Amino acid sequence: MKKYVLIRLFNIVVTLFIIATLTFFLMKQLPGSPFDEEKLSALPEDVRTAIYEQYGLNDPVWKQYIKYMENLVKGDLGKSFYYKDKPVAQIISERIGPSALLGIQAIVIGTAIGLILGIVAAFRHNSFWDYTTMILAVLGVSIPNFVFAALLQYFVGLKLGVLPIAYWESYKSTVLPTLALMFGVVSVVARFMRNEMLDVLNQDYMTTALAKGLSLRAIILNHALRNALIPVITVLGPVIVSLITGSLVIESIFSIPGIGSLFVESIKVNDYSMIMGVTLLFSTLFVFVVLIIDLLYGVIDPRIRIAGNKE
Amino acid sequence: MGMEKAHLTEEFFAPIATDPKGMESVARDPSIGWRASWRRLKKNRGAVISLAVLTVIILLAIFGPMMTPYDYAQADYEESFKTPSGDHWFGTDKFGRDQWARIWEGTRISLYIALLAAALDLVIGVMFGAISAVCGGKVDMVMQRIIDILVGIPHLIVVILLILFMKPGILTISVAMVITGWVNMARLVRSQIFKLKAEEFVLASRALGAGFFRTIFKHYIPNTAGLILINLMFTIPSAIFTEAFLSFIGLGLQEPLASLGVLINDGYHAMQSHYYLLFFPAVVIVALMICFNLLADGLRDAIDPKMKNK
Amino acid sequence: MSKRKKWLFLLVLAVCLVLSACNFSGPSKKSSEDAGKQASTAAGDNKTLNLYFNNDIPDLNPLKATDMISFSVLGNVLEGLYRLDANHKPVPAMAKDVKISDDGLTYTFTLRDGIKWSDGSPVTAQDFVYGWLTEMDPKTADAYSFILTDYIVNGDKFNKGEVKADEVGIEAPDDQTLVVHLKQPTPYFLSLTTFAKYFPIKKDFYEKNKDQFGKGPDKLLYNGPYKLTSFNPASGVTLEKNDQYWDKDNVSVPKINIKVIKEASTALNLYNAGQLDYVQLSSEDVNQYKDNPEFGTTTNFRSYYVQFNLGDKVLANEKIRKALQYAYDPKVLEKVILNNGSKAAYGLIPPGMAGAGGKTFREMQGDLIKPDVKTAKRLWKEGVKELGETPKLSLLVSDDSVDKDTATFLQSQWKKNLGAEVSIVTKPYSGRLQAMRDNDYQMAVSAWGADYNDPMTYMDLWAAPKNAFRGNYENKAYIDLVLQAKKEKDEGKRMAALLKAEKILLKDDAVLAPLYYQGQAFMQKANVKGLVFHPWGNPWDYKYAKKQ
Repeated sequence: MKKYVLIRLFNIVVTLFIIATLTFFLMKQLPGSPFDEEKLSALPEDVRTAIYEQYGLNDPVWKQYIKYMENLVKGDLGKSFYYKDKPVAQIISERIGPSALLGIQAIVIGTAIGLILGIVAAFRHNSFWDYTTMILAVLGVSIPNFVFAALLQYFVGLKLGVLPIAYWESYKSTVLPTLALMFGVVSVVARFMRNEMLDVLNQDYMTTALAKGLSLRAIILNHALRNALIPVITVLGPVIVSLITGSLVIESIFSIPGIGSLFVESIKVNDYSMIMGVTLLFSTLFVFVVLIIDLLYGVIDPRIRIAGNKE
Repeated sequence: MGMEKAHLTEEFFAPIATDPKGMESVARDPSIGWRASWRRLKKNRGAVISLAVLTVIILLAIFGPMMTPYDYAQADYEESFKTPSGDHWFGTDKFGRDQWARIWEGTRISLYIALLAAALDLVIGVMFGAISAVCGGKVDMVMQRIIDILVGIPHLIVVILLILFMKPGILTISVAMVITGWVNMARLVRSQIFKLKAEEFVLASRALGAGFFRTIFKHYIPNTAGLILINLMFTIPSAIFTEAFLSFIGLGLQEPLASLGVLINDGYHAMQSHYYLLFFPAVVIVALMICFNLLADGLRDAIDPKMKNK
Repeated sequence: MSKRKKWLFLLVLAVCLVLSACNFSGPSKKSSEDAGKQASTAAGDNKTLNLYFNNDIPDLNPLKATDMISFSVLGNVLEGLYRLDANHKPVPAMAKDVKISDDGLTYTFTLRDGIKWSDGSPVTAQDFVYGWLTEMDPKTADAYSFILTDYIVNGDKFNKGEVKADEVGIEAPDDQTLVVHLKQPTPYFLSLTTFAKYFPIKKDFYEKNKDQFGKGPDKLLYNGPYKLTSFNPASGVTLEKNDQYWDKDNVSVPKINIKVIKEASTALNLYNAGQLDYVQLSSEDVNQYKDNPEFGTTTNFRSYYVQFNLGDKVLANEKIRKALQYAYDPKVLEKVILNNGSKAAYGLIPPGMAGAGGKTFREMQGDLIKPDVKTAKRLWKEGVKELGETPKLSLLVSDDSVDKDTATFLQSQWKKNLGAEVSIVTKPYSGRLQAMRDNDYQMAVSAWGADYNDPMTYMDLWAAPKNAFRGNYENKAYIDLVLQAKKEKDEGKRMAALLKAEKILLKDDAVLAPLYYQGQAFMQKANVKGLVFHPWGNPWDYKYAKKQ
């Protein structure tokens, strides 16, 4: 086990290196430059070149790459172009708080609600509750979350006036965005939970367990939940990472100074060091979450051996 | 069980029969299973109703635009932002274009996208996940790292580069979706197969001489069918909205064409003053998805081998 | 202790950590309890102005800023030699007056007595010299330095590192006198000195803070009507009245909260809840509010047009270009598609921009391109005959919803009136610019915002050496007119040359097809007055604002 984790950690370093490298070279193929606003696009060529020179943008791409990697190894993520030389690490650390809080809240509450709905739906298979849960889950994925966000903002924030319409000013500010982000999580968890529960309820050992007089609660906790957790954590893994790293639309609807906008905006304005910073943040989180999930498989179901000797 | 396993070695599982016709001769005739499944599906009320609704939507997608005199692309600046009426059944948009015609035109495109996403998921996603899990070990390690890398590289960069090198259109959308659209499915199938690998019937089948692909297609995938179907139900709507995003930044459909996703995105911006621009396309997409889900649930109940005692 | 409790403890700890890291930024940072009151205090405090910007405030270093939002903030916390008044005319600010030499090449400014930075130290002529030189310094590498180097003697050479700082045409003979030498007579130079890039910078303070300059409220010295008390690029700024400001008696608003709100519907909801004093409406919402007494519109100096690429085989045909120019009605674009305060354009230079003899340029010129479907059809037919085939056309556009709507409008009009099939090519913003630079387009929806209040800011663009970005256009007669206008001292003759140049560009050579002049539709609370939006330069000006 220890050996497996060590191998995986080594793997993570290699993976991140490959991602950083590929992203760097792909990003340099993007049209334009960090100085591509309307005004600057009209500048004479020699003035543009002079500005590029100051930022080392005239060097061959491989040279820029080596320089970036050297700094990265030293722990320096570089300075943002768009935010005029502000360190990327500082910007990310200032902005990750709100995004992470919203993401974690949405995941925790959404998973809890999803589990309950899924269990109820499975026990009341093909009943009113089953259909209601299914329709809720479908709404959760086929209506984009920004529509929910806008509706919540309009009705709860403006018409009822019980929660803030926008801004990041107090804990109350987190309620509506969390709700908007939660729908998707509830859908995913409820649907997979229902499926797994049905599976388990139809297993032969279930009949045995019931016959042995085990309580329903024990059965749900020991067998069904355990069984269901595997697909649920598999699907939730990437969802967790993308929720923690923020949602562009939700953050802009509720005017939250989170990290979500950086992912899209930095690419649009060719903010190279920022692109690299957020890419590394996202992929580091992602590879670690994937590792944790793989390890959890073994914890949840000891028969599973991923580290595994081949068949 | 785990204890016993420790005493067993690979040799105990050498195939006993090499005659391919004799493989797993204990298996029942597959056609019985399919016929039984169909019978079970027909008894499921939800599934039957949704099959009917789906048929109606598909017919509307084909014939809907012909039911009004208006063309989906025809702009009429006198008729901008008209509310639904006998003339324009679903109202008109900013350009005075008939929403009824646009919605059914859009449904066609979105159905195609749904089909494409489902196909990608089933072909690439399921196979990738299955091979990764069945082989395990180093193969799994490498295949999973490929996924990590694909997910790690910002999709938007790849998409923008695609805009530069390809003509916008359905083909380009497909290419953009091939890159990462199937990843979740692969990971899910992999996790499920890992679980199945430890089950007795797989061992039995291997002992009876089933080969690599036969095990995948006869045992692993059917036993994962429930999960695969559910995951499809998540892939499809997200593909429809991915298409809308791709179209917005210039990779996908160009005006005056529109898909349901594009209509919903446009309708969202006008929702405070012109709710119907958001409402109708949303209703179509929700109806589609509910029907897909009911049908999938019915299918799952009908074909999943584990459900036979129901 | 049970395992479960340990986990619970860890979970609570984790949540606390995250909560503490997420820095809620309420106006009262004290506790979350009185946060509930904030909405009511913000609305109830009848002196504080509540406003917003629709994007991040990337940076408040005047030497680095390149966007209108940063310029807006800077224009309220700093001040140049002159300042635009409520009618957008330059009036003395840090300077009390100026002497201009007869040849229009030497400006001698005298600074006001007793003007101070927010730390109490005096603002001197040396601060201006230092600020301007640093702006032009190649090491600063500011992409906006052209706004100084184009005018000041030796500015461009200094910017290229060819001459030393002391050879640049600015000097401070004493603390209160600033002498500026210009390359050519520039009738709009005083209005240039109102712009953020012409602000003074105090050397000691700048050098002490260098990397951090402009990154926080205590990293900037203020000499404008307000000072910054909080600044977060992603959530907004707070401005408070500057007690050291020379004209503080005429500043009536004590405090302004400016938030970053990117979503138009969010801003509208906040306005309707009384938490904002001003809101810009998106075109979808205009019809609902346009009869409201709080509704209004403004325009700024920013023209949208279709750039034809004359280097393209089809667009090289003048008749085709003219047919395209005449075949759509900008009025429909204004009324139906944009519906946001923008005005239909029949020329390039926006209305309100200075002309000569007290008249605006547009008043002197009138409309140049009027829609005329009959002529368009005739020209199209002739053009197609000359080409020998019906051409396939494409229109390049950025992935911006207004630009895309404009393109859809043009596409439908050209199809209806000419029978022309035009495909729309959407690209991300920088992708569009790149495609235009690479000569990879036929027509493109493009725009230009004025740098200063003079038609030269537009006419100069097409006088540059032939390049794909400006449609591969080169006409000696046009270039000569622009050069002549640059040297001309006489106001009337200068304007005559520019008038003729616009006519050649649009009417004779049909290089552009005018679309619209950008505007805003907005609502403003009835008790708020004097909120000034300058059509160029540092747009938002809160100095003259009043809230009753």
